[in-house]
Amino acid sequence: MRFHVVKRDNCPLWKKLCLYVLAVAAALGLGALVLLALGVDPVSYYYRMFTMGMVGNKIAYKTFENYLKVFVPLALTSVALSLAFKMRFWNIGGEGQFILGAIAAATVAFKLGPVLPGAVTLLLMCLAAMLLAGLYGAFVAVLKVKFGTNETLMTLMLNYIALYILTFLGETKADWNFYLDPNSVRPIFASFSDIVTFPKIPLVGKFGLNVCVIFTLVIGVLVFVYLKYTKQGYEIAVVGDSVGTAHYAGMKVNAIVLRTVFLSACLIGLAAAFKVGTAGILSTAITDDVGWTGIIVAWLSQMNTAIIFLVSALISMLRYGSTVAAATFSQVDSSFANMLQGAILFLVLAADFYTRFRVVPVQKGGKTNGNG
Amino acid sequence: MEMDKLGVVTTFIHNIVVYNIPLLYGTVGEIVVEKSGSLNLGVEGIMAVGAIFGYIIGCYANSIAVGILTAFAFGALCGLLFAVLTVSLQANQNITGLTLTTFGLGVYFFVGNGLKAVAWPAMNDYSGIKNGFADIAIPGLSQIPVLGRGLFSHNVLVYLGVTIALVMWWYLNRTAPGLRLRSVGENPGAADSVGINVKRYKYIHICLGCGIMGIGGYYMGLNMSGSFNSSCWINGYGWIAVALVIFANWNPALAILGTFVFGFFNTLRVSGSSLAAAFPGPLGWLAAIPTQLYQALPFIITAIVLVVTSVRKREDSGLPAALGLNYFREER
Repeated sequence: MRFHVVKRDNCPLWKKLCLYVLAVAAALGLGALVLLALGVDPVSYYYRMFTMGMVGNKIAYKTFENYLKVFVPLALTSVALSLAFKMRFWNIGGEGQFILGAIAAATVAFKLGPVLPGAVTLLLMCLAAMLLAGLYGAFVAVLKVKFGTNETLMTLMLNYIALYILTFLGETKADWNFYLDPNSVRPIFASFSDIVTFPKIPLVGKFGLNVCVIFTLVIGVLVFVYLKYTKQGYEIAVVGDSVGTAHYAGMKVNAIVLRTVFLSACLIGLAAAFKVGTAGILSTAITDDVGWTGIIVAWLSQMNTAIIFLVSALISMLRYGSTVAAATFSQVDSSFANMLQGAILFLVLAADFYTRFRVVPVQKGGKTNGNG
Repeated sequence: MEMDKLGVVTTFIHNIVVYNIPLLYGTVGEIVVEKSGSLNLGVEGIMAVGAIFGYIIGCYANSIAVGILTAFAFGALCGLLFAVLTVSLQANQNITGLTLTTFGLGVYFFVGNGLKAVAWPAMNDYSGIKNGFADIAIPGLSQIPVLGRGLFSHNVLVYLGVTIALVMWWYLNRTAPGLRLRSVGENPGAADSVGINVKRYKYIHICLGCGIMGIGGYYMGLNMSGSFNSSCWINGYGWIAVALVIFANWNPALAILGTFVFGFFNTLRVSGSSLAAAFPGPLGWLAAIPTQLYQALPFIITAIVLVVTSVRKREDSGLPAALGLNYFREER
């Protein structure tokens, strides 16, 4: 018996959900086998990882604040990337845009922070980060619409160029280099957290909610509305579906691409400003790989803004939780999170196949059709 | 004194070859994969997986040949995973490749740190590996002054890498299966209609290319004398290889040249200061160039190449037309 694959038009939601849950469960099961091989009880490990060690912990509020610090940049970057992906523009350059945004924000903090009121500085940090990151992204979009330059490869190159600009700033001792700590002989980044930092709103007990979390949620809602209910959002969807159709409908495709990529990169810059403005210091690892992970989150969520928030919450839990769990279970390296994340995604990609396609037996033409 | 200066030059040339041929493996492997129409962004992760298993199993077997074969096999396994997901299950290639990088680096550190906690095999304890990795001088050619030791006295993996590149060039451009493979990368629908088994071609060449990358990873590990610490052996070489594919215009023979160009800058980063010290007059300025510029140069050059080729719309561009697109028969 031979099989062939046919496309299916609509897969019922419950079936989709079942497949995805099954995929994640299978990945966790594989992870459990690895843990068992190491002599670690998978249940207590996973419990520790997914609760991030907060249960019965006196400083659980601190853990949750740290968790949100991981969550905010990832969620916002993923939302930003989904704008470009929806248009089938492969912005792999989240890392580079994030880095340039971070440098811009830090520059404003160092140069204007001491003279301007805090709120104004923070606002200018966000704007500068958005502008620089946006231009870095738009540069690729211009090349794409003008010359058809491959955007996947181009944004990939720009990631590394940005990274080495940042390491240059971080490793070069010089009079002009105000990013570094003047009191240290070895080059280390200077902190500006005593000049300016995003405020926290005290909520329950000692827990303070960073305003960036609120901004991120608001932006998420705005992007959701923008994509679903505005003309521009509709244009993005049409261009993503078929450039030909968009042209035929009289849309200015080039302008739409430029505008959307600029917006996408702007929001990544904003995520960087949030991150830097909260940390109060630059670092060569400032991106925490959100540019890469965000691509995966946006795709896993099928560019649905609400699901992006859910998935980034889970992935952040996985990443942050594994570092917490690594402290208790010393025999399990924190790189376990990367393996688990990979396994989850591979299995979800496989499950995805069954939501889009159906495998049916090949009907032998002569026997079943001809004679029947 | 004069001899000493020439010695610096010889060492410089020698280092260009030794420390950058791993790039050639990654690049040639990725060319083979991309020629089948698949853009695999997992080079970094695949090289890491090949490296860690090749190194460990090679050491336990005390044989560099076993190490090479193991690295190839594990690289090819990663390729198989990529092929199952993108060719059979129609998953997005960019996403699958990036995940392969995350996953591969995860496996690398997980296995490496896990073993290190128990007992890490040190390369010097294994005579088979140490002697197998020693330089072999080519009689005659290696006697040429300055260049001889720089170019013709190397370990077995250097010769193997150059041989693989040349064989792949011949295979792609001078054989019937190579021609069919290129047609799959250009237009799978047309290839399918003349009876080429598109799926089989993609599977075989993705696995083959990824296996070659795996050997490159193993080579990186041996270059680091197998010392395992917090930074990965591959250290971004996989990404440079993705860039080098473009620079080499998807041509394995040109990739050898490209490896030397990228390697030249890469080696200047490390030995620029010793060159500047040996020739303070003409090369003294080398010491003033920030190392980060050398690190960024492969990416800057490739970005320029990308833009220039897209502006000129060259007829002879080696970019496979169907690169990055999955082939689904019913949509032909």
